[in-house]
Amino acid sequence: MKPVVYTIRINGISKSFGRIQALDSVTFDVPPRSIFGLLGPNGAGKTTLFSVVANFLKANAGSVEVLGIDTRRISQLRGRLSIFPQDAAFQRNVPILNQLVFFRLLGGRTHQEAKEEVMQTLELVGLESVAKRRVGTLSHGMIKRLGIAQAFLGRPEVILLDEPTAGLDPASAHQTRDLIKKLQERGTVMVSSHNLAEIQELCDHVAILDLGKLVFAGSVEAITRADCEYDLELSRPLQNDEVKRLSSLTGLRDIRSMAVVTANGSVGSASYLVTLDVSHDQDAIVAELLRNVLDMGITPRKFTQSRSLEKHFLEVTRGPDSR
Amino acid sequence: MSLRDVSASHIRLISFYQTRYTVRGGAGLVFLMITLVFGLTVAHAVLTPIEQIMAQQAKAGQQSDPQKVVAEIVKLGRPVIQWALGIESDENSPASSDAWTTFLLDDRPALLSVIFLILLFGMPLLISFLAFNQIAGDVQNRGLRYLLLRTERANIFIGRFLGTAFFSTLVIAIIIATITFYLGVNIKIYSAGLLVGWALHGFLALSVLMLPYIAICSWISASVDSPFVSLVLAKLIIGGVWLFALLGSLVWKPAIYLNYALPWGLQNHLLHPQLTHSLGTALACLGYMLVFLFLGYYRFETRDL
Repeated sequence: MKPVVYTIRINGISKSFGRIQALDSVTFDVPPRSIFGLLGPNGAGKTTLFSVVANFLKANAGSVEVLGIDTRRISQLRGRLSIFPQDAAFQRNVPILNQLVFFRLLGGRTHQEAKEEVMQTLELVGLESVAKRRVGTLSHGMIKRLGIAQAFLGRPEVILLDEPTAGLDPASAHQTRDLIKKLQERGTVMVSSHNLAEIQELCDHVAILDLGKLVFAGSVEAITRADCEYDLELSRPLQNDEVKRLSSLTGLRDIRSMAVVTANGSVGSASYLVTLDVSHDQDAIVAELLRNVLDMGITPRKFTQSRSLEKHFLEVTRGPDSR
Repeated sequence: MSLRDVSASHIRLISFYQTRYTVRGGAGLVFLMITLVFGLTVAHAVLTPIEQIMAQQAKAGQQSDPQKVVAEIVKLGRPVIQWALGIESDENSPASSDAWTTFLLDDRPALLSVIFLILLFGMPLLISFLAFNQIAGDVQNRGLRYLLLRTERANIFIGRFLGTAFFSTLVIAIIIATITFYLGVNIKIYSAGLLVGWALHGFLALSVLMLPYIAICSWISASVDSPFVSLVLAKLIIGGVWLFALLGSLVWKPAIYLNYALPWGLQNHLLHPQLTHSLGTALACLGYMLVFLFLGYYRFETRDL
C-alpha cells in the first residue's frame, strides 16, 4: 500500500450554483501535520471548498480525499474530521452544554464522559462560565468561540476552520491562534482567513483561490523567501553615510526608508524596508546587517519578514479592481 | 451510504433530542396549543348539546335519561356520518348498507366515534404545524452542518421523523385521554371497558394516520431551504388534495380518486367494523409513510446542505 503523503487531497474539484462557477477544477494537497491557509478575496470559493471537503456540498466534478478516504464515504471519517463552518447557527433555545454534550453522545461517549470533555473544551475557549446559558443569550464573539470549541471536541485529526478569528476581539483572536498552533502537534489544520498577517504567522502552506480557480499553492516560506523583504525598525534614523555602508554589504540589494516616528518634536524611531539578494544565504546577510547596525550604536527594535504574502496575494488575485 | 451506516443509537439520540426540544421550540408549542384547542373544541361541540338538553330536562323537573338524549341526537346525525364515511344510503335495505354507521353509532360509544371522525379529518391539516420544520430551518441557518460530520444524513432524517411522530402521538394521547375521561365522568352512558377499548382504538388510528402526513412533511422539509415555504407547501399539498378531490368530483366524479394520492381516500377505514379491514388500512398508511420517507430521504441524501 502506498504511504499517504498528504492529509487532504483536492483533486479537480468543480462546483457550480446555477450559472455561477464557484470552483473550477481546483487541485492541491495539504501536507500532514501542517497548518494550511486557504486564501482568496470575497467570493473566491473558500467556504464552498470547505463545504465540499466536509461533504456538505456535492461537487459537480472531482474528488476529495481526507486521510486517504474519499469524503463521499464521509461516515468513515467520523470522529477524525471536524469543521468550524462559517455562518452556521446553533439552536438558540438550547443551553450550549446540552448541544455540545449531544455532539459527544453521537461520538459514542457516556453522558458523564461527554460532559467532562465538553467542560474541558469550553475552558479552552473561555466559555466554561456560560455553559448553562442558551445560545441566544451569548454575544457574537462568544458564539464564534463556541463554534471553535465544537470543532475541537473529540480530538479530531483534521480540522477545517473557516475564518475562525473574524469578528473576535484581539485577545480572543490571539487565544484562538494559540489554540490552532497547539493543534498542529496532533493533526492537520486547514484555515481560511482574510487576515494575511495572521495566515503568514500561523501557516506553513497556503493555497490562494480567485474567482473559483486555484492561483497559487505552496509553502509560505517559498513566497516570503522569494521576496526576501524584511521590515527593520531602528532606534533612530540612519544617516546617509550609514545607509551607504549598509547598502555596500554583500547580498543586501536595497534599504529604503519607510517612516520616521517623531514624538514631542524630536525624532524617534525609524522604519526601513530591507531587500536581500535571493542568491545569497539570507541568514548570513541578516546577521551581518544587524552586526553593522549595532556597531553604529543603533538599537534594532524590530526585524521581521515583510508582509510579502500580502504582496503575493495581491499580485496573483489581480487586486480589488478586477472584481 | 449504505444501510450498514444507519445507527440505531444515533437515531434514538436524535429522536429524543428532537422530541425534547420540539416542546421548547415554537413549532412544538404552537402544535400543542392548536391541537388541544381543536380537540377540546370538537369534544365541546359534540358534548354540549347533550349536556344542555339534560340540564333543561332536570330544570323542568323531568327525569333525564342521557342514553335517550344521545340516541335522539345520533339519529339526527346519522346521515351526516354516512356522508362522511362515503356511504350511499340505500333506502330499500338500510340495514345492509349501514353496517359501518351502525357499528360506529350503536355498537361503539357514538359520541367518541363522532369525535374520532372529526379528528381523523382535522388532524392531517394540523400536523404540518408540528412537522414542517424538521429539516428546513436547520438547512436555512446551516445548523445542520454541526451534525453532518458526526452522524449519517439517514440517521438525522429518520431520527427527526421519529421524534416528531413521538411528539404527535403524545399530544394525541393527551387529547383522547382528556375527552374519554370527561365522557366517562360527566355522561355516564358507556361502560368503562367499552369506552377505554374504543378510545384505545381511536388513539391507535389517529397515531398511525399521522405517520404518512408527518412523512410527507419530512419530504417537503428536506426539499426546501425555508421553514415558511415548507409550511405553506405542506398546507397546500395536504389540504389541496382533499379540496381538489371534493370540488373536482362535483364536476367530474372520478376526481374523487385524487384523495388516494394521500391517505384521505381511506383513512376513515381505520374505524371500520372488521378488524382485518382496519389493519389493512393501517398497513396502507404505513405504505404511504414508507414511500414519502424514501422520497424525502433520497432528496436529503443527495442535496447540498
